[in-house]
Amino acid sequence: MTSKSAKRVKTLELQAAKMRRNVVDICMQRGGYAGQGVALSDVGACIYFDEMRPDGNGWYHDRFVNSNGHDTIINFAAMAELGIYTMDELRTMGADGSPINQSPIEGARGFEITSGSLGTGVSQAAGIAFGERKKGSDKRVICLLSDGELHEGSVWEAFMFAAHYKLSNFIVIIDNNDLGATGKTSEVMAVEPIKKKMEAFGFHARQINGNAIPEILDAFKEARSVKGKPYAMIADTRIFAGIGVYQNAIPFAHFVGANGRWDTGHLEWEPGWREILSTIERLEAELAALDQGQT
Amino acid sequence: MSPGPYEHSCHRESARHMLLTKEERQRVPSAFDDISFDLCRRRDDVIMMSADLSHYVDLFKVTKELPDQFVEVGMAEQNLVGVAAGLAKAGFVPITSTFGSYASRRCFDQMVICMGTSKNTGICIGFTPGISSPAPVHHQGTEDLGMLRAVPQATVIDPMDVTDFAQALDVACETPGLVYMRGHRGTTPKMLDPETFKFELGRTYPLRTGSGIGVISCGHASQWAVEASDILVVQGVDHSLLHVPTIKPVNEQEVIDYCFAHDQIVTIENHQISTGLGGLVSEIVCKVGRGPRITRVGVPDSWAPGGSIRHIRKHFGLDGPALAKRIEEVMQ
Repeated sequence: MTSKSAKRVKTLELQAAKMRRNVVDICMQRGGYAGQGVALSDVGACIYFDEMRPDGNGWYHDRFVNSNGHDTIINFAAMAELGIYTMDELRTMGADGSPINQSPIEGARGFEITSGSLGTGVSQAAGIAFGERKKGSDKRVICLLSDGELHEGSVWEAFMFAAHYKLSNFIVIIDNNDLGATGKTSEVMAVEPIKKKMEAFGFHARQINGNAIPEILDAFKEARSVKGKPYAMIADTRIFAGIGVYQNAIPFAHFVGANGRWDTGHLEWEPGWREILSTIERLEAELAALDQGQT
Repeated sequence: MSPGPYEHSCHRESARHMLLTKEERQRVPSAFDDISFDLCRRRDDVIMMSADLSHYVDLFKVTKELPDQFVEVGMAEQNLVGVAAGLAKAGFVPITSTFGSYASRRCFDQMVICMGTSKNTGICIGFTPGISSPAPVHHQGTEDLGMLRAVPQATVIDPMDVTDFAQALDVACETPGLVYMRGHRGTTPKMLDPETFKFELGRTYPLRTGSGIGVISCGHASQWAVEASDILVVQGVDHSLLHVPTIKPVNEQEVIDYCFAHDQIVTIENHQISTGLGGLVSEIVCKVGRGPRITRVGVPDSWAPGGSIRHIRKHFGLDGPALAKRIEEVMQ
């Protein structure tokens, strides 16, 4: 790895760690989709801080549609780092009267769609990609959905559409965390083999470790080079990946209450909070060392 | 409040003038083919969309002559509306077309979530609505107006003829958010004079003036109401006709003024008698209280049979002579 690419990866690891901190900070207040947010921070950091091109006006040239309302906590976590939301605002998420919704409504700062009804975002993202191409724009459209969302038939309608119209500016990321609302996706209703299914539906598909930033970056690079097909990145993630002490505390934690509880167990927020703060410190030191090495 | 002289924002003389005479009325073949083609030629941001039913809703010329303004999604109504909402977010004005039964039942969530919560214009047209499909229940969407009327901020339009349909579609293209319209396919009557009829969102249109019985209708049922009215005119039964193409947001004051100027109100709709036009008028009149009796005529909480529209109308007593009799009877 060159020093430049090492620095790029380290920078993103640090951004991902800060996003994890923001996710935990928000969820400690009134509960939230903490496990998914922590697990998706690596993918989210790559989307917001590497892949999407800035538009020069404080936002992005490319468009990110998060179809899975539960996962929008990573949008908030990233936008806190961008200064679009303050943590004070985000800590009100879920409070009566708060403008910050767990699943935001279209028009909320930084959100393309209303995403709480699973399966409805992929068609919209495909429509945006189709429309942008129609206008002659080179904007790329990234759509994030979850493995459980593959249960919804409408996503397969959207996949067919994207492949039929050869939307090579369209990339779907499937958060493959084997987690549904009430248990493992594989036990609720099996969705594997996802990669083969996506290929059969006309996508260029690749399965990666969704918690390995170099793999995510490599998949995005490949997606940009694929012609005549939409791209599917199947990102295998693990609930709470990146915060060791949380990982085995609550199996299949779809939602974690402010008290750290879900019906399969509970966690103490404090040890994980300390762990993520020390991870940030370590990554900042490592990044500084890389900077010094370069100079 | 007692019945008094009915004053409408529309002058009585022009009201009479708005409805073409029996002799002037025409039947326009494949009306939507021309309406859609004319619209797309005027506006290159409009995209006509189909879920493999383009030929069944008279979409021909746009598909052949303006292919860049036509998008086919296959038999997938959820994706139809989802992709349309995406196109709207990319700066286009999408118009989805399918049968009313599918538009309302198969992609209601997409209409509400993807279009209804957006400020971008998204238009869904439900063709062969109500009992105007020859195939039975699965093709007959007789609940759509009620369903869509319940969606906050949605716009719901049920035009009666070619003139109304074309003008309303133009207005829909300038209306933010979800617009659900009922469409007419095949040979469609031209009953309103385009010189005197100007569609405005929410406005109600008196087609015949009179007192005693007030007949309120929308969509196909406004054609039926005119048929019945033609009979009542010959019989000398005092009545008036009000066409209400905008189910939501309707000008409630105009509905109140009309209803309280009559002794009896009859609503006629190509829809279940619950939740649609009759429901709407009843809700509005109830808010004032002590209004006239309202008799709701339409599909009476039952499944319609299949067959020709003539057969189905007769089955429910919605043919011209039966309607004329039912209207007259409310005074007895």
